[in-house]
Amino acid sequence: MQIRTLKDALSFGDLPASERIGFILFIIFCLIFPWIIKGGFAQAVMVQFLVFCLYGLGWNLIGGYGGQVALGQAKNVGMSAYTVALLMVRWDISFWASTPLGVIEATIESFILGYFLFRLRGHYFAIATIAVSLVWQQLFINWNFVGGARGIELPLREPPNFIYMRFDSDIYYHYFAFLLVMLAILYMNWFRKSKLGYQLRAITSNEDVAESLGINAHWVKVKAYCITGVFAGMGGAFYTVYYGYIDPFSVMHLELSIMIALMTMIGGAGSMWGPIIGAMILIPLDRYLGAWLGGRGIIGVDFMIYAMMVMIISAYEPRGIWGIIEKARRKR
Amino acid sequence: MGTKRKITGRYFLKVIVGLLVVGVALSMGFGMTIAQPPEVKIGVIYPLSGPVAHAGKMSKDAVALCVDYINNKYPDLPIPIGNWEGIPGLNGAKIKLIFADHRGEPDRGADLAKKLILDDKVVGICGCYHSSVTKTVSTVCEKYKIPMINPESTSPVLTKRGYKWFFRATPHDRIFVRDFFEFLELLTQGKVSGVKAVPKEEIDEIGVCTENTEWGAGTRNVIKEFAKKYGYKIVSDVIYAHESPDLTAEVRRLLAPKPETLMFASYISDAILLTKTMKEFKAKANIFWSQDVGFYQPKYMETFGPAINGILNRTVFSKKLFAVKPVAKYINVEFKKRSGVDFMGTSARAFTGMQAWAYVLNKAGSTDPEAIRKAAETIEIPGKELIVPWKGIKFENVGGETNQNTWSSGLIVQYQAQQPEIIYPLDVATAKFIYPWPGLK
Repeated sequence: MQIRTLKDALSFGDLPASERIGFILFIIFCLIFPWIIKGGFAQAVMVQFLVFCLYGLGWNLIGGYGGQVALGQAKNVGMSAYTVALLMVRWDISFWASTPLGVIEATIESFILGYFLFRLRGHYFAIATIAVSLVWQQLFINWNFVGGARGIELPLREPPNFIYMRFDSDIYYHYFAFLLVMLAILYMNWFRKSKLGYQLRAITSNEDVAESLGINAHWVKVKAYCITGVFAGMGGAFYTVYYGYIDPFSVMHLELSIMIALMTMIGGAGSMWGPIIGAMILIPLDRYLGAWLGGRGIIGVDFMIYAMMVMIISAYEPRGIWGIIEKARRKR
Repeated sequence: MGTKRKITGRYFLKVIVGLLVVGVALSMGFGMTIAQPPEVKIGVIYPLSGPVAHAGKMSKDAVALCVDYINNKYPDLPIPIGNWEGIPGLNGAKIKLIFADHRGEPDRGADLAKKLILDDKVVGICGCYHSSVTKTVSTVCEKYKIPMINPESTSPVLTKRGYKWFFRATPHDRIFVRDFFEFLELLTQGKVSGVKAVPKEEIDEIGVCTENTEWGAGTRNVIKEFAKKYGYKIVSDVIYAHESPDLTAEVRRLLAPKPETLMFASYISDAILLTKTMKEFKAKANIFWSQDVGFYQPKYMETFGPAINGILNRTVFSKKLFAVKPVAKYINVEFKKRSGVDFMGTSARAFTGMQAWAYVLNKAGSTDPEAIRKAAETIEIPGKELIVPWKGIKFENVGGETNQNTWSSGLIVQYQAQQPEIIYPLDVATAKFIYPWPGLK
């Protein structure tokens, strides 16, 4: 069973050759990036891209394959980030010991909330996820134990420090984030061929029919939501050590939840590569336009270009860029 | 064919000679370029878009004006930089500013700091207004061992982290809040000009209302700490999101226990919204004090006109200083010409921060980060050369703080006839204190 799972995760044989080539090119690109692009900002944007890939791949599970408009992913990111930061700052626990605890925390919280939230459907579910996320953020803003609105700052340690993940170059963070993304991709590759994957897609197609076939839709959705929490938790833990500072506005903001969902939808929700394509477009666009135009005093134009791009893609192909690729492929 | 070859040969010769002439001219030009003083790049990170873009733009204008004074000769300017043409200690090297917009996001600020340090090769960083962004940016500077001078972030924790490369020019919230409680004590002792001794029972119930980022939350904690120390009671304590479109519930909660003293820490849009809402509620209290920023900006003054009279603000700058600081008056005229507004607390500190950068570079006489850091550690800029009413700039390690400007100090001003009159320190007061607060009329 375990060997079969591993085989499913590692086997991309059922995908078209073009997708496999694209995947290999993506791996090569990520591996050589720090050696060919020396710019500090480019490397920082690349790390951001990888973190958002992780968030997006996780959200794609419930939002794409599961068809549930869950807009509270930031709360999972924040739960893990706060757990890791608290353990590292208050009890001096290493990153490697605190990260699993952070991820477990995010998963348990996803399970508890998911159990109740998935009693709702459609717009009600989406609104409930936003509401819970906002309540969570307010709780953390007012909770002194977790630093309140002032957040938590990790103490500076002399680099390199592998135990507390403190390095003087982004290269280390780049490869660690890349490793997490690769694990996420392998998991998603297994997931789409798994029983849970098929059940989730059946629910997305028609929940009532799926239930009539014996699928416990509520339980399947809760399980998928928990896995989403794991991905967000890993991203949140990484964010904490990468920036060394978290507050409820950077890791629990609704804007982050929307960004994750938007990015996945633009790339192509429900497709294996959609979140990566979405992150590949939106993250550099956002960061470079902001840095380039904002610094030159051309304020607001970056927002306009960004918004127009999102609108054009959405209007042209609601299934995102992956939808455009598939259309082109069918035409051939 | 032979003729053609001959012409081609002559033509070729001409081209070679021409190229040589151009080459010599270019190399001379290049030589001249080398002889030009090199540039010194400083990265400036401010919120140039988003809810506090107005403050970011004012700060940007202020640092740009300061650099203009440093790079070009202004013989009439009555401070040393007026006679500079670039940094004298760096053979006249001109300062080049590279601006970046952090939008109030700490992670974006950190990424931009990496861009400035690693890609643009700046010698140092100036900024970032938001204390939360200053936190992440200073961490990046500490990591890459690049000096950062912060002109205006007031969260006390920033200088308590033991950072060696971070220098703060402004006084911080502990100093401002302590000043206010000392002012209240003087008020109860009858030492404040224009008012008899006020019984403590008239002002000892405090309503605190702060926005919820690093700065507001930090102010709130310090207010609580000093209220306890000086024997005041916090009767309402409201914290809110500064992007909130409506603050009715918050104002209701703030005013419900009828606080006698109101204390605020707000950015501009929320300061306006809070004031409008309190006006609707016909808010009453004996004292209304705010932490500069939102309540002390031209936009706020324009929005409410005479209704703001009686409001107290902590700040580091007031136009009333012109009487004792002609240099501030001189520079303010130019600033208003260029940006359309007078100097306020934020912009005056941004100007001063950039001025500190110039003095530090001049003293360092090198662009080596370690030399700059050492120069910053030992620099002493006299107050008479600054536009702010400080003793000067001297970064020291005292009371658990590192590289805090211990020569900085705050003012408490009160709007009177829509002008900020200095009330505290008492020895520089420019008007009598209006008590009680007349309310928002």
